[in-house]
Amino acid sequence: MLFNQFKIALFTPSMLLFYGITFCGVYFVSSVVSAFVSFAPLLFSFVSLLEDAIDAKMVFAATAVLSASSIVSGYFGLGPAAVITEEDESLMMTAPVKPHQIFLSRYSRRVIRKVSFLTLGVLSVLPLLMSASLLFYTVISLFAVIIVFFEINYLLGAMSSYVRLWISGKTKRRVRHLAVVVLGILTLLAAHPWGLSAVAAIYVIPSNAFALFLTESTGVLSQGINPVYGFIFIIIGYSICILLTANITSYDYYELFSASKGKEQTEGRFSRIIRGEVDFSESQFNDPMIWIMLKDFWSRLRSPMQIWKYVYAVIGTVFVLYLNIVRPLWFPAILIPLYLSFALVPAFLLMMIMFVQMASITSMLSFVDERDNVYLLKASPFKSGDIILSKYLLSVFEIVVAVIPACGFLVYLLHMEGYLAVVTLVAPLSILFAASGSAIGAYVPVLTNDPKTLPVPLAFSFPIINLGLGGIMVFLIATFAESVLILLVLPLYTLSLVFFFLALSVRALNTYK
Amino acid sequence: MPGDELLRLARILKVPILKRTVKRNWLVDELLKELERRNENSNPPPILNSPAISLQQVTKEFGKTTAVRRLNLNVNPGEIVGLVGPNGAGKTTTLRMLTGIIRATSGKIQVDGHDIQKDALSAKERIGYIPEKPTCYPSLTTREYVMFTARIYGVPHVTTLIRMREFVDLFQFDEFIDSYIGTLSKGNLQRALLIGIFVREPPYVLALDEPIYGLDPRGAWNLKKHLRKLRDQGSAILISTHILEVAADLCDRFVIMNEGDVVGRGTLEELRTLFPTATNLEQIFLSLTGGIPE
Repeated sequence: MLFNQFKIALFTPSMLLFYGITFCGVYFVSSVVSAFVSFAPLLFSFVSLLEDAIDAKMVFAATAVLSASSIVSGYFGLGPAAVITEEDESLMMTAPVKPHQIFLSRYSRRVIRKVSFLTLGVLSVLPLLMSASLLFYTVISLFAVIIVFFEINYLLGAMSSYVRLWISGKTKRRVRHLAVVVLGILTLLAAHPWGLSAVAAIYVIPSNAFALFLTESTGVLSQGINPVYGFIFIIIGYSICILLTANITSYDYYELFSASKGKEQTEGRFSRIIRGEVDFSESQFNDPMIWIMLKDFWSRLRSPMQIWKYVYAVIGTVFVLYLNIVRPLWFPAILIPLYLSFALVPAFLLMMIMFVQMASITSMLSFVDERDNVYLLKASPFKSGDIILSKYLLSVFEIVVAVIPACGFLVYLLHMEGYLAVVTLVAPLSILFAASGSAIGAYVPVLTNDPKTLPVPLAFSFPIINLGLGGIMVFLIATFAESVLILLVLPLYTLSLVFFFLALSVRALNTYK
Repeated sequence: MPGDELLRLARILKVPILKRTVKRNWLVDELLKELERRNENSNPPPILNSPAISLQQVTKEFGKTTAVRRLNLNVNPGEIVGLVGPNGAGKTTTLRMLTGIIRATSGKIQVDGHDIQKDALSAKERIGYIPEKPTCYPSLTTREYVMFTARIYGVPHVTTLIRMREFVDLFQFDEFIDSYIGTLSKGNLQRALLIGIFVREPPYVLALDEPIYGLDPRGAWNLKKHLRKLRDQGSAILISTHILEVAADLCDRFVIMNEGDVVGRGTLEELRTLFPTATNLEQIFLSLTGGIPE
């Protein structure tokens, strides 16, 4: 299947285009950035700053916290069943195949995909790595060990879920869930300073092995131990974890998987309070566009993530206003060194573009979230333009709501002179990125037969495309900044691209299979 | 069989081809001779245990909801049993327990004499299952999926090629055999899944949930004809369906479920004796599951 997907990616022009945009875009950006700034001195000063601020015990504690959080979250998760797919349920679960065989085959697919994306990622940021004078193989091994550590945490979570299953089989009393607390504490104890100094064998524990490799291979807070030891311990830890996880994978996880599918809840208890009832028969609006927006708004509100997003928007805005007005001493702005002051405006712009980009993912998902119901929408008496416009306008609203606190925080942190002139770029960026997101989201059912699954190349190329568009906008502003023409160029650039993307979206909607 | 498949078969059967070009008729004759020679030495097909499907006092609870309550159901080799009932009756749950996807809360389930929980692998070797909503791996072609399934079930390569061709022709699937499964319509997907089951050698224990779903009239006709043939060859088939005409046409006897309980069972004639005024299965079904609407 992986081979076929690779073939499809190579021989489908649109997929190849999106992969090409992603890879070339990232490579280009990293080349440009490394041409302007040499990262080597920055990195060295960052390293010495880090060594002053933290000590080795904190690194070990941090990795232990990562492992403990994986164990705690994995306790309530599906464990090995998380890799099983809907197709496996009717094809593999009913076949004379052992549960651990399904797990290992699905898991190895996951690992191969990660390694592939890591390889592409490293190649695309090669200019940045070379600019920072980093040894290529050291970086590769570091990335590889990071991935192995995250996989170990995933497997620890899977084993933690087995503990829950086992205990639930013995007793139904609620006190059984204290087991997760015990597991978390044991994981954290492994990073206790006493253990680290007195017991050499404690470095075999994966979180400690990872911290050891991290500190020794980067030279930050190094204790003078050969990093190979950390590498060997982490590989041993990974091997043990994967074998243990395969061993515990049993038919119980079939039941867990099937039960999780049946209990797919899109609303949490909290969101039920705000659920509301939308009765279109009594709607004061006669415009179907408004109905679609309301339908999307209330549908999304039934997801816990959406509730938290609006909570974040309100609390974030209040907090940001407090910071900017009161300027508390306990949370000072960042002091930018004089030799980096030239980079302040580019950094501000780049971060602002990234914040808007992150918030604009919602526009891409506005079609993906429709899942198969996008065909219902198409079959309804709505114009394609109305459907696209309604999704676009709601996306703009959501982007603005998410971006305001983030940009306010950025303004406070960087404390840049003349920030007002720059931060107003949020408006054209938001409407432009929402349009590009709508176009890409609308093309998902055109490029695949599965409207609910966002293909990886589209997901990766979306930020690259937006960063490119944002970069061009910044270039135009820099070029025409001192001319009245900027009042024409900027709106022309933004609006023409918005209309272009929206027209693309309509075209995509009209070509669904 | 297309030329490339004949050549592949010749390669597997080690039929010597010494010329650069060969006549199709000659190749087919050589292949048939080799297959006949191999068939003479092969073992007779296995016979299913009786009953092939056995559910004894099977109950399934999901939290506080009882989906299936103390179900007793046997299907013997050489019969087709229809499992009918309204939505939420417990039919799909029954099939999912039978095929080992979920476990019964209590009771015993045996397939071909093997307990589905204690000896799952042996039980599943005989099972063929079509789910209510057909799904398959979208990134595989149909040919790849069928070959993959054949490997899982230990079907010899020669048998796979021959039987795959047989059922591709039966379901008129030739133009889609090399298409990605993700591009197939629901009817063609159903066909692909059926080919994946039938590529194995009978007898089977078949658990089919709405098998006619998405098939056109010709495909449905061919499937029903093939299922009768399998029954006559000794397979045990349990079909769950809403389409009572299909059930009445195909099944030897029926088990009617409603809200987790069995409310009626038997052949059509036996059920008619309970409802003398009923003229067809539909009226019997409605009478048993809440009454005929006025």
